[in-house]
Amino acid sequence: MAATSMAAALAASLPAPAAAPAPVAPSYEAIPASMAKVVDIEAEIPLTCVQLDAMVVTKILKHARESNSTTAHGLLLGLDLDGTLEVSNSFPLPHHVSDEDDKSAKSVARYQASMLRSLKEVQADDSVVGFYQAITLGAFFNQTLLDTQAIHQEKLRHGGIIIVHDLSQTARGNASFRAFRLTSAFLDAYKKNNFSAASLINHRLTFSSILEEVALKVRTNPLLSSFLGVLTEPTRSEATDAPPAAAATSALPPSYGVLDLGTSGVTRNLEQIIEGIDNYRTEEGNLAYLLRQIARERSKADNHVAKRQEENATRIAQGLAPLPEEDVNRLFKIPPEPSRLESMLLLGQVDAYAKTLSSTASTGLVKMYAAKASFGN
Amino acid sequence: MTLGIPSSAIHIQPAGPAALPTTPRTPSLVTIHPVVLFSILDHYLRRTDSQDRVIGTLLGTRSESDVIEVRSSFAVLHSETSEQVAVDMDYHKAMYELHHKVNPREVIVGWYSTGSNLNTFSALIQNFYSQEIAPYPAIHVTLNTGVDTNEKAGVTAYVSSPVGVFPKPENCVFTPVPTELKFHDAERSGLDLLTETAASPSSTSVQPTTDFEILEKSIGSVSAMLDRVLTYVRAVIAGEVKGDAAVGKYLMDMLGASTEDLEKGGFNASLQDTLMFSYLANLVRSQAEVSSRLALVTS
Repeated sequence: MAATSMAAALAASLPAPAAAPAPVAPSYEAIPASMAKVVDIEAEIPLTCVQLDAMVVTKILKHARESNSTTAHGLLLGLDLDGTLEVSNSFPLPHHVSDEDDKSAKSVARYQASMLRSLKEVQADDSVVGFYQAITLGAFFNQTLLDTQAIHQEKLRHGGIIIVHDLSQTARGNASFRAFRLTSAFLDAYKKNNFSAASLINHRLTFSSILEEVALKVRTNPLLSSFLGVLTEPTRSEATDAPPAAAATSALPPSYGVLDLGTSGVTRNLEQIIEGIDNYRTEEGNLAYLLRQIARERSKADNHVAKRQEENATRIAQGLAPLPEEDVNRLFKIPPEPSRLESMLLLGQVDAYAKTLSSTASTGLVKMYAAKASFGN
Repeated sequence: MTLGIPSSAIHIQPAGPAALPTTPRTPSLVTIHPVVLFSILDHYLRRTDSQDRVIGTLLGTRSESDVIEVRSSFAVLHSETSEQVAVDMDYHKAMYELHHKVNPREVIVGWYSTGSNLNTFSALIQNFYSQEIAPYPAIHVTLNTGVDTNEKAGVTAYVSSPVGVFPKPENCVFTPVPTELKFHDAERSGLDLLTETAASPSSTSVQPTTDFEILEKSIGSVSAMLDRVLTYVRAVIAGEVKGDAAVGKYLMDMLGASTEDLEKGGFNASLQDTLMFSYLANLVRSQAEVSSRLALVTS
């Protein structure tokens, strides 16, 4: 009773133009006369966009939260059509413990195969198009992710994509899903298994050019849209004396968690940055040590060669046969140049953590001033 | 967060046979994770022409306090004709084992079907699931997709009990159980994203959104609400509307929040911290960028 009178009063007193939003006409996609142009068997049309189904969004959300670590990963299933990769289903992969690697890899493969077969039976899509990975605080560079992706690159159409879901950002109120794929420069270096300084220079590789971002869209199918509409619709309680909180209940009430002023995650974020920098320093130390060792060995070898050449010159002057110069490779083992991949990835992680921190700080500022403004007056 | 139509009816609990201490209690509440609803809808969309409804297995956890939490589901093959019903049991078992590998905590709690009519076949399938997870009672969740005219979309959960002089598998009473949508707070933003996507005219939304866009939306809606309240309060003051004491009380509680902390220099201290974070973050980022570029410089 009270509620209705209030609503009526409000409706009457509201400024007129704001109260009547014109219903937006739904946009229909024109169906092409022939699908011949958009269906490419040879995967020739390059991917421009990834479309994520709402069900996949919830599946990833659930899996990522429940496995409370960054190990949550799974497979994405779907199809590509005219440059848009439609991800229509996904399933989690079991978290494998690193011992008995060979055995666990086999069991994962078996799991994957039987899951795909089972999904096919209920008319679900069964072609693997990529992976998803849950991360925290924006850092998604890690060796295993890149390894898995690079291995599957060959097998998957378009090389496969990685969907990255940031748990901490989602907890702060912005459900974050991003799509990536490996760049050709990285793949080339990876295939040659060469991440030495020279190779990095040739491929112009920095941490920001390992992965390239692909546009991502989230889509809800019409059935789901209507269902969600029903869920969010408030239902009026039949009791007339119900308190306002219970008077209109809905399965999905609006939430304002985004406006939370708390900065509890920041400490963790700072710790992560420090840890990242420490790791990076250690790795750089290792690299420097290896480089020094290489330089030492090389100078030894050079000395040897120079000495041998000198000796040979005197021997030739004396009319003797010169000693061979090739045995230097046998005598001195110059270690191969160390891979800089690890240090590059660590640097990428540090950068990602810092980026998250900076965005937390900037939204924090806005919220603080908003809070001050509302209390100041 | 109740699903379906609220009713004041008392939910009748079938009394168990003489309540032995070992007999588990009948569930008094069923909570459903959104992923289950979405999976069921997807399964329904992918049904074959000959299927009127689809069924599948519900997985979840049982707590001590007779609450059943449905956390995931998978589709099961079945065929229904006017004479008989067949459910692919091998498929069900294989799928359960696969799910169990990834999430060992989730066990079978019941089954779902689309549409809201309960018939003899429902009783038969229910009988099967009850045997499967005995001694626990199986729950049956029906999801009305709202596709048929005159039917409202919604979810109802049931428990069953045998009925008749001689219990037969095809005879049973389905008793509704209160059902709620349940998810973790951290998943809330994901659902918000989906509801927003569903509300947009093209049913798609471009990702990723920045934190600022989300913040802007929230501040916008708070500001709109303040406007509404303000209009109402002005109308009450002007005497156009009779004021509601309850609303007034709520407003006073809400707006009378203490601002002591902010006034006592808390704001400035906090501001400095935040600015420091921002500075530090940008410093680290530029250092990282420089360092990675330096690695590419030829000596």
